[in-house]
Amino acid sequence: MRIVIAEDDPLLREGLALLLRAESLDVVATAGTPDDALKAIDEHTPDVAILDVRMPPTHTDEGIVAAVEARRRHPDLAVLVLSAYVEQTFATELLTGGVRKLGYLLKERVGRVEEFLDALRRVAEGGTAIDPEVVAQLFTRSREDSRLERLSPREREVLALMAEGLGNTAIAERLVVTDGAVHKHIRSIFAKLDLSPADQVDRRVAAVLRYLDDVRRRG
Amino acid sequence: MPTHDTPRDTSGTWPHRDTPEAREEDRAPGTGGSHRYTGPGSTRGVRGVRGARGSHGTSGPGGDAEPGRAGETGGPGEPERDLRTLATRAGKDAAHGLEQLTSGFGTAMMALVVLVTTVLTALACLVGIGLLFTPVTLRILHALAGRERDRLSRWGPEVIAPEPPPTRLRPALTDPTTRRELAWLVRHSTLGLLLGFLALLLMLFAVRDATFPLWWRLAPQDSSSTSLGFGVAHSWADALAVTLLAVGWIAIILGLVPGMARIQGKPGRRLLSAGPEADLSLRIAQLTATRAAALDAHATELRRIERSLHDGTQNRIVTVTVLLGAARRMVARDPAGAEELLERAQSAAEQALAELRTVARGILPPVLADRGLAGALNGLAASCPVPCRIDVEATQRCAASVEATAYFVVAEALTNIAKHSGARHAEVTVRTHEGRLRLRVTDDGHGGADEDGGSGLVGIRRRIAAHDGTLALASPRGGPTTLEVELPCGL
Repeated sequence: MRIVIAEDDPLLREGLALLLRAESLDVVATAGTPDDALKAIDEHTPDVAILDVRMPPTHTDEGIVAAVEARRRHPDLAVLVLSAYVEQTFATELLTGGVRKLGYLLKERVGRVEEFLDALRRVAEGGTAIDPEVVAQLFTRSREDSRLERLSPREREVLALMAEGLGNTAIAERLVVTDGAVHKHIRSIFAKLDLSPADQVDRRVAAVLRYLDDVRRRG
Repeated sequence: MPTHDTPRDTSGTWPHRDTPEAREEDRAPGTGGSHRYTGPGSTRGVRGVRGARGSHGTSGPGGDAEPGRAGETGGPGEPERDLRTLATRAGKDAAHGLEQLTSGFGTAMMALVVLVTTVLTALACLVGIGLLFTPVTLRILHALAGRERDRLSRWGPEVIAPEPPPTRLRPALTDPTTRRELAWLVRHSTLGLLLGFLALLLMLFAVRDATFPLWWRLAPQDSSSTSLGFGVAHSWADALAVTLLAVGWIAIILGLVPGMARIQGKPGRRLLSAGPEADLSLRIAQLTATRAAALDAHATELRRIERSLHDGTQNRIVTVTVLLGAARRMVARDPAGAEELLERAQSAAEQALAELRTVARGILPPVLADRGLAGALNGLAASCPVPCRIDVEATQRCAASVEATAYFVVAEALTNIAKHSGARHAEVTVRTHEGRLRLRVTDDGHGGADEDGGSGLVGIRRRIAAHDGTLALASPRGGPTTLEVELPCGL
């Protein structure tokens, strides 16, 4: 797996590169600014770009802007965004462009190497990795949303795990239920969120997206 | 750009007078408002400003209790110093009193003119024509009252203006503010004028008699030699006797002038301030605006702190977890490599601690809370290798973040002076005036300081801008270097 890292803090950048190389992943370039990151991505066309949200010059959302731009230029690029804290506007900004090959994690998740590598692989293979913290926040904020209100607590749990990017089997394992039960829950979620099988979309993605959209619309 | 031929004595370089609070402080026991620091080892008067703040804003009579209080300040061991401080205080009080009376004399003259105009307008009203002039006359009256409020506010606690009064005749006749202003006009143009005139006369007498021996030979024969209008000097002994009379004048000035100044200001303070029935909505609006500005500065400050925590300290700790995570994965396959990672993780953790300390110190240096701005700056001077004089006369309180900024400006400036300037002497002056903190750092080094030269000045400038302040650096080649900073007190 070929990786580009963009992180403005030199020590952390080095630490990340060290970690990934120790796992025999191929870190082809590192960058300290969004511009350098985009240049490196253009040049090396990596499989995954790991981007820090807060980068120079303003240290606000440069990483998000760079991620959106990189995905526009390279639709096939997987992007994993690392954030110092959960910011929903960042998450929705990223995710409304489609959740395929996309990850949004809190920085400290990197320390749990196995989970981090798992998320990295999932994203690189076309999946999604949303930080549980992000998902939890989205849910607490969406209480007033009538459509989501229709979901049972179990269904909400399932949707949360879907939003994190887990597959059915993984969800079943987490919740200690059978695959069949998970299937049933997911069908029920689709029904309650008015997602019909006839739609030409990935309903899993649509469910999460619908939900993030609601959050965004209500500001 | 500031001038470079600044005299070493800074008392004259600040374009403002001491505010009344400064005088209050001068009188407060155990303190001098001014703290002078002349190098490591001397800590005299360092703790003054904080202690003196208790007396801030009181308008009560300052002179009467002094002798007794003054006795408590030095203790039995230092009667000489006591006497000297007492004399200095009396001198300062008298000087301020004279200035106040003279400026009051000015407004009293104007008050007299306005009084005459008002009376003439009132008389003209009897025949009708005056009605045309009433609005103008009232406007002049209000303008003068406003001017007097400003003047009195400069010399003591702020005189809060009531709502702007009406300028049309009918509402003005019943308007309490206008009535109070008229009452003040009568008092100030008579009693105020008299007191101001007396003060001028006393000064004139004192100067005339004190300098008499210098010019008595040139005076016309048989003209009276004393200010009192009697006696003719015929010899040097007589002339010197006249000088003794000047001592008497000065004694009268020292004794009476502060009281006279208070009496002159009294009608204005009582009649021109907003009465208990006055609508203070304007004042509230003003306060709301300044408060909003203060909160704004506060928000900017919080943002700065949030940044340094998220972009500095947090990254350091994330690095620690990343390295620890990597080490854990490596420990079985490559113990030596894991050991090296752990070593790096530890040093990253240590860096995180150091940064945390810096951030905490950047929020509010502990020394600032413990010893106030004057004490904190003296501490900086003591640790500065270049001999440094600190002169703080901060009579107004400033927001803690503003004082912290002032502290960092001085810290940065002294560091630069020690590192780059080659100076043999530096000087830091801090003054507060009309809600602004003015800070000036000068050195006698070779100049040529450059803001873009990688100095910490960039960060300082950003910090000052966040507080809506200004920074000016003048550092021609060959020196001297002057750094001037002005900050709103934010309170």
